[in-house]
Amino acid sequence: MTTPMLDYVNVAKRFGDFVALSGVSMQVHPGQVVCLIGPSGSGKSTLLRCTNGLELIDGGEIKLAGKTMPRDPRGMRAVRQRMGMVFQNFELFPHRTALANIMSGPLTVLRLSRADAEQRATALLAKVGLSDKAASYPANLSGGQQQRVAIARALAMQPDIMLFDEPTSALDPETIGEVLNVMKQLAEEGMTMLVVTHEMNFARRVADHVVVFERGAIIEQGPPKQIFEAPLVERTRDFLSHLGWEG
Amino acid sequence: MTFDWSIIQTHAGELLQGTELTIMLAVATMAIAIPGGIILALLRLSGSRILAAISASFTEFFRNLPLILVIYAAYYMLPLAFDFAFSPIVTALIALSLNVSAYNGETFRAGIASIRRGQSEAALALGMSRFQAMREVILPQAIRRVLPVLASTWVSLFKDTSLVSVIAVGDLAYTSMRIRSQTFRVLEMLTAMAAIYWMLGYPQAKLVDWLNRRTGISE
Repeated sequence: MTTPMLDYVNVAKRFGDFVALSGVSMQVHPGQVVCLIGPSGSGKSTLLRCTNGLELIDGGEIKLAGKTMPRDPRGMRAVRQRMGMVFQNFELFPHRTALANIMSGPLTVLRLSRADAEQRATALLAKVGLSDKAASYPANLSGGQQQRVAIARALAMQPDIMLFDEPTSALDPETIGEVLNVMKQLAEEGMTMLVVTHEMNFARRVADHVVVFERGAIIEQGPPKQIFEAPLVERTRDFLSHLGWEG
Repeated sequence: MTFDWSIIQTHAGELLQGTELTIMLAVATMAIAIPGGIILALLRLSGSRILAAISASFTEFFRNLPLILVIYAAYYMLPLAFDFAFSPIVTALIALSLNVSAYNGETFRAGIASIRRGQSEAALALGMSRFQAMREVILPQAIRRVLPVLASTWVSLFKDTSLVSVIAVGDLAYTSMRIRSQTFRVLEMLTAMAAIYWMLGYPQAKLVDWLNRRTGISE
């Protein structure tokens, strides 16, 4: 078996007295789409933020391609360059145009020439279907458009893995589809993806592996067929039925 | 009582020179105090306790002393400290810059703190260093956001430069007062001085209003 892209071993995280994660063990293999589902506050987003070091874990271990995650600033920067992250609230840079947002990483971090960065950004903007919005500022884009630009901005670093933190939760229903389509296309191209989501249809259709969280721990994980059609754990069934999921 | 307004005309050249010096002093002070304020804010937010304490002490010291006292202190103490006599203009510039930097430091600190955390996280997630995130993402937004405050600091500074007349810097205030005591045309000179300060200050104040309205809409 190949080395997992991400290997979580007994990961623990506390915020003061609150246990955000405990005993979390799971793996993400190259080319896989792994969806993290579960109630709000169950630790899914925290796990994602620990993955690229926006939060530091208090116990256990996270390994990237077999190597333990560094904790020093320089090492963490190197790791983050290999992971694209997409946020719930897009977090586009409001003082820069869509194109300039996408060029941010290549220019500042990879030190590409302006021409190369622009070429890369233009291609990515086309990929997410927003070529005509290159000169638009985030304030003049819809939520769905902003999130697609944010995906392109993360892809501009040519990461090994993409982390999505509830990418459609802040969107109007009519723009959720366009973002999910871009994500589906990425998955089909073989991008390794770790997705925190409440979009059960996306998880069922696109994920290779689904992990169910509750109160900071994994209660069940397996292929989507198992999770959505024949969950082994009663609480998984409860969670899904709360969402109106009938299987 | 009779007025002799021709006195203004006869001394127009001197008044113009004084006005030029006032403008120059205000511009030079702001040119120093903006980078100065940014440095103070960055030290304060650096995460280092020592640097933050240095910045905070500097700010609270100069922000809470009357400007006129700082000007006098600079005038008498700088030559002692450096064993070198600075010209009155340089002394005035130093005193004004210390005061305005302290104010700008607080302004920038508030501006930086107002940028939501997700913005620096997004920059870090791209692989930027904390310094790059500050330079590329946080500061440009923070500066835009505090522009109206900086502008109103500027308007205050423009008028406060008149305090440097106490150490014989030939600004507009000093020049007017000097002509007054030479000619004894007190009301005429005070009127002329008021008119010049007001005519220069009013458009600036309007500009501040406009900036306030504009940023009010975009946020």
